[in-house]
Amino acid sequence: MTIDWWTLAIQTINVLILVWLLARFFWRPVAAMIEERRQTAARILDDAEKKRAEAEAAEKAVAETRAGFAAERDTLLEAARAEAESLHRKRLAEADRDAAARIAKAEAAARDAHQAEERAWFDRAGDLALSIAGRLAGRLDPAVIAAAFLDGLVAEIARLPDAAKAAAALPEAELELVSAAPLGPALAETAQQRLREALGTTAALNLRVDAALIAGFELHGPHFVVGNNWREDLARIGQELRHDRRS
Amino acid sequence: MTSPLESTALFHLGPVPITGAVLVTWAIMALLVGGGLIVRLRLSPRPGRVQAVAELLVDVMDDQIRETMRVAPPRYRAFIGTLFVFILTANWSSLVPGVEPPTAKLETDAALALLVFLSVIWFGVRAGGVGGYLASFSTPNPVMIPLNVIESVTRSFSLLVRLFGNVMSGVFVIGIVLSLAGLLVPIPLMALDLLTGAVQAYIFAVLAMVFIAETVGEAGHVSAKNEDRS
Repeated sequence: MTIDWWTLAIQTINVLILVWLLARFFWRPVAAMIEERRQTAARILDDAEKKRAEAEAAEKAVAETRAGFAAERDTLLEAARAEAESLHRKRLAEADRDAAARIAKAEAAARDAHQAEERAWFDRAGDLALSIAGRLAGRLDPAVIAAAFLDGLVAEIARLPDAAKAAAALPEAELELVSAAPLGPALAETAQQRLREALGTTAALNLRVDAALIAGFELHGPHFVVGNNWREDLARIGQELRHDRRS
Repeated sequence: MTSPLESTALFHLGPVPITGAVLVTWAIMALLVGGGLIVRLRLSPRPGRVQAVAELLVDVMDDQIRETMRVAPPRYRAFIGTLFVFILTANWSSLVPGVEPPTAKLETDAALALLVFLSVIWFGVRAGGVGGYLASFSTPNPVMIPLNVIESVTRSFSLLVRLFGNVMSGVFVIGIVLSLAGLLVPIPLMALDLLTGAVQAYIFAVLAMVFIAETVGEAGHVSAKNEDRS
């Protein structure tokens, strides 16, 4: 076995040259392309990851905005509900007040009407009573009636204060006797006599007729009025009746 | 039939004899460089089939270097990758009728083993400097220096013998069978020879990586230790 040293040298150089050529035209360019693609892929992945993060952030922002909308909607609904409830209560209160005012007004009006009607009926009853009393008095003997009322008037004069009686006893004092019907001479004299005695005076009394008294007398002194007649009695009875109804 | 152990000069360029192995080597070089140029010119971010195959080859080579040598591939990719591709192409060139693979000749395998031997020195010196490379022979202790020196030569010689023996024997056997039997009989043996050629190319490249990695690792380790001491 022999070795051809020339061939050995040529083959060594050949392989060296091949190493150099392939390194220059194959291994490095292909490896560089692989690395470039790897970097491109990494950059694309980074960009995709970045965009994904941005998309997630945007989605999160949208979700937060939607949540804000929902919360705002709930707040607005709650506020509107509260406002409606308040308005409803206010309207109810106003309606209650209005109804109460209307009821009170109606009640007052009804009461006034009732009172007016009652007064009217009372007045009519009073008129009726006066009419009845007048008719009854008309059927009686005027002298007897006058004597009865004259006794009552004297009794009333007796209950006057002394000062009033003293003032009436003065000579200059003017005394007026009002009767419901004209007095006859005898009755007028009797009345004059009894009243002068009751008052302790000698002065003559002025006589006057007032049919409104219905029956009885009324004595007008300087500082007093003393009466004993049906008009006063009926007025007193009416007042007592009204007082009883109110109580 | 000529002896596979002899190289016959086809012609002479001056004093230099040009054998068939050299011519086939030139043809393989032209083929590989031409293919590399085609791939280089057609490189695109969107790879076609040819570029995809080329990138697959580069990726596989890088993975092998990374897993075997435990270093970054770029510095060693061209040398290891070219060794593998050249030996594989040379071994498979026997499929072309009338072509004898250059790796079946002792000079070509010796040249490849010599380049591995020199590359071990080159990469060892680059990794740890001349001192670091020489100090790598003293690991694990100076007593081992003679054995390590002998080993550095013998392991390269083993590369030569292994590749030459396998390829040459395959070609020799096919030649014998072809001379004794018909045309179709050697086809199974040729298929087996394809497998043997691929395995031998892989083994040669892996062993080259192991030798380089061993020296680079030891030289770098010694160099780092010396820097720590200083």
